Parts: sequence; C-alpha cells; structure tokens
Amino acid sequence: CRADTGAKEPYFWNPRTHEFLGRTASSWGLILLFYLVFYIFLGGMFILTMYVMLLTLDDYKPTYQDRLATPGMMIRPRSEAMEILYNPQDTESWDRYTEALDIFLAPYNNSVQVQNNDDCLPDNYFIQEDSGEVRNNPKRSCQFNRTSLDACSGIIDRTYGYQTGQPCVLIKLNRVIGMLPGKDGQSPYVTCGAKKEDADAIGELAFYPPNGTFNLMYFPYYGKKAQVNYSQPLVAVKFLNISVNTDVNVECKINSNTLTTGGERDKFAGRVSFKLRITSSNN
Amino acid sequence: MGYGRSDSYRVATTTEKDEKESPKKADTKAEKKIKDMDDLKKEVPLTEHKMSVEEVCQKYSTDIVQGLTNAKAAEYLARDGPNALTPPPTTPEWVKFCRQLFGGFSILLWTGAILCFLAYAIQAATEDEPAGDNLYLGIVLSAVVIITGCFSYFQEAKSSKIMESFKNMVPQQALVIREGEKMQINAEEVVAGDLVEVKGGDRIPADLRIVSSHGCKVDNSSLTGESEPQTRSPDCTHDNPLETRNVAFFSTNCVEGTARGIVVCTGDRTVMGRIATLTSGLESGKTPIAKEIEHFIHLITGVAVFLGITFFILAVCLGYTWLEAVIFLIGIIVANVPEGLLATVTVCLTLTAKRMARKNCLVKNLEAVETLGSTSTICSDKTGTLTQNRMTVAHMWFDNQIHEADTTEDQSGASFDKSSETWLALARVAALCNRAQFKAAQDQLPILKRDVAGDASESALLKCIELSCGSVKQMREKNKKVAEIPFNSTNKYQLSVHETENEEDNRYLLVMKGAPERILDRCSTILIQGKEQPMDEEMKDAFQNAYMELGGLGERVLGFCHLLMPEDQYPKGFAFDCDDVNFTTENLCFVGLMSMIDPPRAAVPDAVGKCRSAGIKVIMVTGDHPITAKAIAKGVGIISEGNETVEDIASRLNIPVSQVNPRDAKACVIHGTDLKDLSQEQMDDILRNHTEIVFARTSPQQKLIIVEGCQRQVRHTQTDGAIVAVTGDGVNDSPALKKADIGVAMGISGSDVSKQAADMILLDDNFASIVTGVEEGRLIFDNLKKSIAYTLTSNIPEITPFLFFILVNIPLPLGTITILCIDLGTDMVPAISLAYEAAESDIMKRQPRNPTRDKLVNERLISIAYGQIGMIQALGGFFSYFVILAENGFLPSLLVGIRLNWDDRSNNDLEDSYGQQWTYEQRKIVEYTCHTAFFVSIVVVQWADVIICKTRRNSVFQQGMRNKILIFGLFEETALAAFLSYTPGMDVALRMYPLKPSWWFCAFPYSFLIFVYDEIRKLILRRNPGGWVEKETYY
Repeated sequence: CRADTGAKEPYFWNPRTHEFLGRTASSWGLILLFYLVFYIFLGGMFILTMYVMLLTLDDYKPTYQDRLATPGMMIRPRSEAMEILYNPQDTESWDRYTEALDIFLAPYNNSVQVQNNDDCLPDNYFIQEDSGEVRNNPKRSCQFNRTSLDACSGIIDRTYGYQTGQPCVLIKLNRVIGMLPGKDGQSPYVTCGAKKEDADAIGELAFYPPNGTFNLMYFPYYGKKAQVNYSQPLVAVKFLNISVNTDVNVECKINSNTLTTGGERDKFAGRVSFKLRITSSNN
Repeated sequence: MGYGRSDSYRVATTTEKDEKESPKKADTKAEKKIKDMDDLKKEVPLTEHKMSVEEVCQKYSTDIVQGLTNAKAAEYLARDGPNALTPPPTTPEWVKFCRQLFGGFSILLWTGAILCFLAYAIQAATEDEPAGDNLYLGIVLSAVVIITGCFSYFQEAKSSKIMESFKNMVPQQALVIREGEKMQINAEEVVAGDLVEVKGGDRIPADLRIVSSHGCKVDNSSLTGESEPQTRSPDCTHDNPLETRNVAFFSTNCVEGTARGIVVCTGDRTVMGRIATLTSGLESGKTPIAKEIEHFIHLITGVAVFLGITFFILAVCLGYTWLEAVIFLIGIIVANVPEGLLATVTVCLTLTAKRMARKNCLVKNLEAVETLGSTSTICSDKTGTLTQNRMTVAHMWFDNQIHEADTTEDQSGASFDKSSETWLALARVAALCNRAQFKAAQDQLPILKRDVAGDASESALLKCIELSCGSVKQMREKNKKVAEIPFNSTNKYQLSVHETENEEDNRYLLVMKGAPERILDRCSTILIQGKEQPMDEEMKDAFQNAYMELGGLGERVLGFCHLLMPEDQYPKGFAFDCDDVNFTTENLCFVGLMSMIDPPRAAVPDAVGKCRSAGIKVIMVTGDHPITAKAIAKGVGIISEGNETVEDIASRLNIPVSQVNPRDAKACVIHGTDLKDLSQEQMDDILRNHTEIVFARTSPQQKLIIVEGCQRQVRHTQTDGAIVAVTGDGVNDSPALKKADIGVAMGISGSDVSKQAADMILLDDNFASIVTGVEEGRLIFDNLKKSIAYTLTSNIPEITPFLFFILVNIPLPLGTITILCIDLGTDMVPAISLAYEAAESDIMKRQPRNPTRDKLVNERLISIAYGQIGMIQALGGFFSYFVILAENGFLPSLLVGIRLNWDDRSNNDLEDSYGQQWTYEQRKIVEYTCHTAFFVSIVVVQWADVIICKTRRNSVFQQGMRNKILIFGLFEETALAAFLSYTPGMDVALRMYPLKPSWWFCAFPYSFLIFVYDEIRKLILRRNPGGWVEKETYY
C-alpha cells in the first residue's frame, strides 16, 4: 500500500534519512528502551502477584482437592496404550515388563521398608495429626513389604509369572492427601473382571495381599513433604489360567464403602482397564 | 469495458466526427479517454435544430400534420427499441452476495478457515486421534463469514428496496399523432419521427424538435441546472442544441403552454440518455473505508506471518518435528485473525447507517457511511440542493427605496413596511397583471406549499401578494379583467385592463408588467408615497441604480406600471381590442420593480459554515448563469463576506481585469466556456489557489472534469488525492455523482438517474443533512478505531498461551473454544457499544482526516493494543492460570516441561507438587478450568480495556460513562461469562467448568493496572501535545 501512494522512498533502509524500517536509530533506541522498561515493570508486577499468591498456599496440602474425590487407579507394568502383550516363549517380549516391575518394586524390599518405616497396626488409619500450629513432622509411614505380594513379589518367581503365562499385574491407588478410603475398619479391596465378551477367557485370578485389599493403615497420606518415605500400598493380580492368543480386556476397580468409582468420562477414577494378550506359538 | 461503451455511443451519435477520427483508432487508452471527453464537450450531436421543419420531416419520413404511419412507427420501434433508458447493468443478486462473502475483510477470515482445514488435514493424516480444534475453528470461521456476509447483504438489499420505491411506477403517457389521429400511448412506444403534442404539466417523452408552440415553456433544471423555465418556439436561436429554443429534451417538464414537435431521438440516444450511459460507464473507486480495511489487513497479516514464522523457526529449533511446527505456524497465524471484528465492523457501520437514515441520509452502500467523514471537498450543485428550486420575490423597489421580501421557506425572515400606498398599488398591479393561479383544493396548505398553474415568476408574484395582501382571487374578482395582452418576446410586456374596485368609479385600470427598461420607456410619471410625480432624470437614475443593483444580485427584475384610464376617452363598456391595440399604452405611471430569485434554503448558510469550520471546501458547480450563481454563493456563504473575485477587485480599483493579480482574489467564478479552454495545470492552479470557487454554466462533462480536478488536489503536501463529495439532483449531475468518492443525491427532487449514481440520498433534500453525514462519518471513523483497538487487544492474551505452550511446554492455558467464546461472545457487545460513544471533542471543528497519515489502524494502534495493553491482559490471564493450577497442587515450577506427560492419555498417575497423583481426565478438568479462568480473566481485563478505549485523548473522567450501551455491554459480557462457566452441561458442551468465586478476582489487579496505565498515558498525551508519547501511542 505504501507503494500505491507514489512515495518511492526505500522502506527497509533509507540512506537519506538514515531510517531503518521507517525509524532512525534514536527513534528505535527510544521505543526499545520504553518497551524494555515497560516489560521489566510488568515482569516485576507479575512476579509480585505470583509471590503473593504462593504465600497464600499451604506447603503441605493443596488448597483444593475437589477434583480428586475419586482417586485414580493405575497398573504396573504400564505401557503406551494400557496393553500388556507378550509371548512367554519370547523372553525379549516380556523382559521389559519384568524389568519395569523390578525397578518399581525395589523401594518395597523388606530391608528398605524396615529401615525407613514403621510396622503399623493393620486395619486402622495411621493418623498423625498436627497439634494446632505445631507441625507433627516428619510423619511416619507404614511398611509395605515386598513379600506381602507373595507370588507376585518377584522374589520367588523372578519373572513375575510372565514366563509361565501367568503374569502378575500390580494395581495401585493414586495418592491423594488426606484421603480415607474406608470406614468402620473395612479396607478397600480390588476386584477384577473381564469385559463381557472376554468373560470366559480371563480364567482364575489370584490377589496379593489376600483379597486384594489396600490396608487402611497406609492411609491417610500426608503429602510428599511431610511424609517423605510413604510407601504406596499395592495389590497384585495374577492371571492363573488366562486364555492365550486372545485379547482379554480386564477391568479392575476399587470396592470401598467411602469411595465411588468415577463417572462415565474418567476411565481411570477408582478403576483401571487394560488389555492383556498372551500369544503362544505352542498352541 | 467502460471505454468500449463510450466509444460505441460516440460512433452512434457523432456521425460527422467519426470520419475525422477513424484513422486514429489505434490511439492509446489515455488519449482515447481525453478524446471521449473532448467529444462530450461538444455536448450534443443534434443537428435537427438547424434544419428546417421540412428537412426534419424528410429525414424521418414523417408528416407535419398526419404524423407517422402506424406501419412506419412499428418499423422504427423494431429498429430503435423502446423509448426508455437502458437501466444501468444491474449486478445479479448472487454476484452481490458473493461480493459480501468474499470482499475485503472476509478474505482474511477465509484464509484463516482454509489454513485451519489444512492443519486439520495434516493432523488427521498423521495422528490417530486428531484434536478437533482446528476443524471446529475452521467451521466457525466459515460460519462467521457466511453469517456476516448474509447480514450485510440483507442490509444493503434493504436500502436498495427503499431506492426502488423512489422509482416512478406510473408509466408515462404521451400524446402522439399518427396517421392524422391523436392517440395516447405509453411513452416507451414513442419512436423517432413521431409527431408529439405536449402541454403544461407533461413530461417531454423524447427529444423533440418543436414545430409549433403556444407559449410553451419547459423546465430544463434537471438537465442544465437553470431554474428558470425556458421558452420553446420553432425558431432556431442558437447553434448549441442545449441553448436553442426549438428543441425540448426527454424527461424535462413542460411547465405551461402547448407545443408540437417531431421526435428526433429516443431512449438512450437522447441527451438525457447519453448522460445516463456516460454515468453507468464510469467506474467509481474504492471507498476510503475499504482502503483502510485493506491497510488493516496488510498490517494484521504482517504481524501474523511475522509471529508465525518466528515461532515456526523456534519450534524447529526446540526439536519439534516439521509437521508439528507447520501446525503451530498455522495455529499462530489463525490465532491472529480477529474472528469477531468483521461482524463488529459491519454492525457498527450498519448502526451508523441506520442513525443517518433517521436523520434523512440514506446510505446505499454500507462502506460509504464513513466517506463523508473523510471528505475534504464538497462540490455542490446549486439548483434544488442549495436553493429551493422555486422562484420567490426577493426584493422590491418602490418609493425610491429597495425593500427586501421574505424569502425563507417558513416565512421567518424580515418583512418590510406594507403601509405605503405605493406598495398597495404595486401589489395590485402584480396581482392583476398575472395569469398564474393556485390549483384547486389546496386551501388548507400553507401558501408556499401550494401548487401553482403558471409561469415561475408569475407564481412567485402570486405567492408573494397572497402572503402579504391576502387573497388574490378576491382581488381579481373585484377587479374584473376586461382585456389582456399576453407576454411576447417582441414587446416584452404583458398588460391587462380591469374594472376598478370602486363601484362608483367607472374608469378602467390598465396594469402592465415587463422588462424594466421597456416599462420605463412607457412611463411619464412615477408613484412616490402614493402620489404621482413626474418622471425626471433624477428618478430615472434612481431607477437605473436600483435595476443594476437588483440585476447584480442575480435576480430577475420585472417592472410594474399602471394607469387609471380617463373616463372620457374610455367610457364604461369601451371595447378594448387587444390584437389591434385601440388604447393608450404610453404615458403610464411607474409603480415599482420586483425582483425574483430561487432563494437558498434556510439551513444552507449554516451548513456551509459548519463545513467550512470542519475544514471542508465547498465548491458550487452549476449550470446556471454566473451572476445568479455568484449571488447565491454569496447568499449561502460559499463566497464568504469580504472575499472578492478578480472581477470584484477590478471594478473596485477601476482597473482592467488583466491587471489584477489572481492571487489576491480568494474567490472566483468560472464560466463553463472558460473552463473548456483550461489545461489540466491551469485547472489545478485554480482549485489550489482559490478557497471559494463557483463554476457556472457547466455541462455534465465539465462537472466530471471538475470532480476529477478536485480529486487530484493534494492536501498538506501529501501524495494522496483529496476525497470529494458531490451533491446534486439533476441528470446533469449524475456523471459527477458517480465519479465522486461519494455522490449525494436528493431524495425528493432528485432524478432517478442521479439517485442510481449516488452513494447516499438525502431524503429531505436538505443540504444541511450533509453536515450530519460528515459528523456521523467522522464519529464512526473514530469509534471504529476504538472498537478495533478494543478487539485487537484481546488477541495477545489469546495467542500468548499457545506460544508458551510451545515454548516452555506448559499445559495449554487457553483453548480454541474459549478463544472463540471471547471473540464471538463476550467481546462483541462491548466492541459494538463503542460505536455509540460520543465524540471526544467537537469533531466538526477539526480538519478532515488525511487519508495517507490518519489511518484507521496504524502502527501505533497495534503497538498499544498488542505491545502494551494486550501484554498486561496476557499476564492477568496467566496469573489466574497459575493460581488455579497452584491451588490444585501444580506449582509453577513443576509446570515447565510437563506438557508431554500432561497430555499423555495413558499416564494416569501424574504426580503433582504435593505428591498426589492425577488421572488424565482429572488433570484435564483442571486444565479446562484454567481455560475458563483465563477466559474470565480476559473478560475482567476487557472491562478496563473497553473503558480506556472509550477515549483516545480525554480522560474517562472527562468523557463520563454516559454510553448506556457500553454499560449494558459490561454487564452482558460478565453475565455471559458467568453463564458459560456455571451452566450445568457446559463441561460437556464447551469444556468450561465452574470457577471458585476467588478465581474471578485474580485478574483484578491487572484490570486496574490497565486503567491506571492508560489514564497516565492519556494524561501525558494531553499535557504534552506533539510529544513522544503522542507520536508513539496516539492512534
């Protein structure tokens, strides 16, 4: 449009007026200085408001937890699409699962647990209240020994049953500060089932610890700052005679008298779904 | 194409010129154009007026008595087509619709939409589960363009409907004589050669060569701009067909008398038709606002592409894949498109158009709404626009004194002493020696509004007398007419003989009126204070002075005298013979002079003054005589008091005109014949060096040249031409109307052709409405700036979230849906409400805007909106975003780099800063809550933005908060934001979640900062005019 007006002055660099992009050096200098000062001021203001906001936060507990009313559930080993696919004969195919489980379970070794955590009274909440303003920190945690996972602990069977076609899947309940997952001394427990069409294929299941319970003594959680050595309780599911060469869609969910499974939208609130497929060239 | 058409009609009409020009057919286009103009300067190629009646008859094989034969007429009709103007090529409705759909601003949105679809296609091809955002955005963008397109299409359709209602639906009739029989036929069926009879009140059905006439007068004002009716007779009086008496033109009106003529041209070949064809062949340029919008699109595209490319390069450097980077590029470019602005601008223009329509300015083309505001020159036609197009008695001379009559439309002007005996005598002569009379059944109407049958000057006299002395009809009944000699051009007077009012007085009263010098010759006495005194030299000098003075005012002067005839010579019952005059017409008693003019409309001088103070040059362009034109120009202030023309200076100093330095004269009156000989440079010189210009005796083509000259004018040594408005009502104005940046036609008196050519129509024919137009145009320009500044500002808080999402890998702070909710939801009403904002200062006191320097959207506006206010807004939004995430457990330090895990659907135990674990859905709800909060924050900071955008220089405290629509807008956007956030189901529909009340207040400090910052900026702006702050931030 500039060209239309007939002004044939070069716009990029005008040697006559020493203008670069329509401005002289001092003009550029002034405007850039202005913006520099302006943005420094804005940055300062932003930092100030952020600082004030952070002051209002509690170090141990977030202001709002209403989005975490139903804790999520997750499995280990976890993979991209919530699928566990392997061939027992092909070590390569399940090696990564057992390795992942090994790493995941390392902090649960009895030696570590005994060293860091307390042996608590089961079936009771391990409540460690602050007394008013005085923080009762650091807070202790209860031992969750790897051995309580029994056949799925990876101690007896280093392959977690993967080699034999009886794989173990660990299930964990997401940590939520202050969550009390059961009342009247009843611990929440996990049940698993297959989606309708796979009902026959799933076969028998074994749960460790027995009944697939998350013992109440592991709750409530006090946050990673107060409760540094918290051991998240686990439930292991062992598929004892699952059909091979078929997709088995498994859904596990939490059963609790205080928690409800999430709505339709969230497939991982209080439940977890995954696909299991064991291929076998022998059959 | 336009040239082609002009060529063809030149070939068809100027047969004699064709031979000369045919060897030069290979001329360049430019030369050709000049040639066309030259041709048109010849005006009318008619030659029939110079032929004898017999020759004409021969040419059209018609008969002076019998007319055409029916067969011949049918043959001619088949050859020439119907006698009607070809309507200007109407654009098909779908083309008009497409123009709305793809014109100007829409292109930007279409480009955005196409880019969106492209991005979606790339995503769909490369990802399993493509996010639908780009698809939705593309659909919404298309929908916006289509809906606004429909809206403005229907708006314009509405005003063109009003246009259509102007069209005269009653088919014109014509009385033709064919095979010796008079027959009434549709004017469309008239053919060349037809013998046509017209009488007073008829419209001339085609161009006629008059063969016989009985006191026929035609009103040529729509063709030539002359307000006085012209006599038509069979004699050729002038070589120029427009001046000669023996041609009557198509679509002019016969005022009185009867005439018979042979049709020489029909339809488009008539003089009127040629002008209409010329008009439709002209291309009118882009409206200033269209140019502004184009400039705006350039700017916004520049910014968008710059940002897009920068972040494309950054994204590639940061290790994104090429495809991702391309999608980011598209995303950023599209994010820069202000989705709501098209609708906002359209609505703002429509609102102003409606407001103007209420004030009697009908705008045909929405974009023309603003044009009057940028106008720097108005070329106004005189007759009917500046004047009332109605002869009125303006002055009288009796008792050796000039008296001024009231010429205002509502009789609010000064009156004169009506007690003098002489005045009564003068009134009696004027009333009796007058054939005009009011048409029946108009008693309830005010006198000035009544229709009169008769000559314009006689009507003027009639109305004048009726107003000051009561019923003329009664006066005439009391003084019965016994004899009458009508006016003719040889003796130049009209006389009648009446009985006197006094029953006992048996003398007859002879009354006479006519050309003053002729009347004087017949008088031996003069009536002074009711007493007859001998006409001595002193009196004659006084008469001469008065006559000259009135004539110098451009007025048409008539002399009046009477004589009470001695009873001994003319006893009761004397048989007056008017053919062979058997009574005295000498030694009469001179009574006085009356002069008439087509007076200016009452509101015009004020309007011209306002235009002048608004820096607009008003030029008069008229077909009327220079003296009249100059008188009216002085009357309405186009030539202001104390300003002299070269001729004035010459006569004052008593030196020849050639010795006067033309630079000394600010005013000038230019005659059409002089104009013809002027070169372009001379023309430019005149327009540049005179502030007050009157063009008289101009032809339609010359009007066009004048308009082009004005458009070439360079203001303030800038390179762009001036923006010229033309007002006019006649067909002769229509080429100029079309050529002008904005043509303004008259709704009541305007001809159809002129209305077609115009962009705007003054429904009340009042020049003063133009001032309204200028005011509204300037206001909407200012307010559009404000509106755009407001709308553009929120672009920054809309783009930056995406940029930070790419750059530092944080969860997306603001989603596409929420952006659309702002642009097409909450921002709309406040942006539109700025169109209702009152002016900050007296916009009629400043100069017209400079189209090169004063842009609708300039770098400073972008700097303020994007660089300053927008940045504060973005910070406000980000602050609420960080507050919500932090209060939910994700501290800012954790967020940087979290994006990949955050958006991983299979990661359902993402840990927050407190050690809690989140499923994908859970954290997405928090993210969408952030989007909602960011959206609400933008609404909050936009409160401050709309308030600071109310003014560009004044403080809000000076401006006040009187704009009710704006206050409504503030509440509306807040309510809408709350509605979107809290309505159940919005989480599913728009992924918007309820906010905790405290989150509404996050952006408040930033809102406050915006207000304070801008108030300080404007304070410095006012304190230090022309300073750095003004240069860098005053948009």
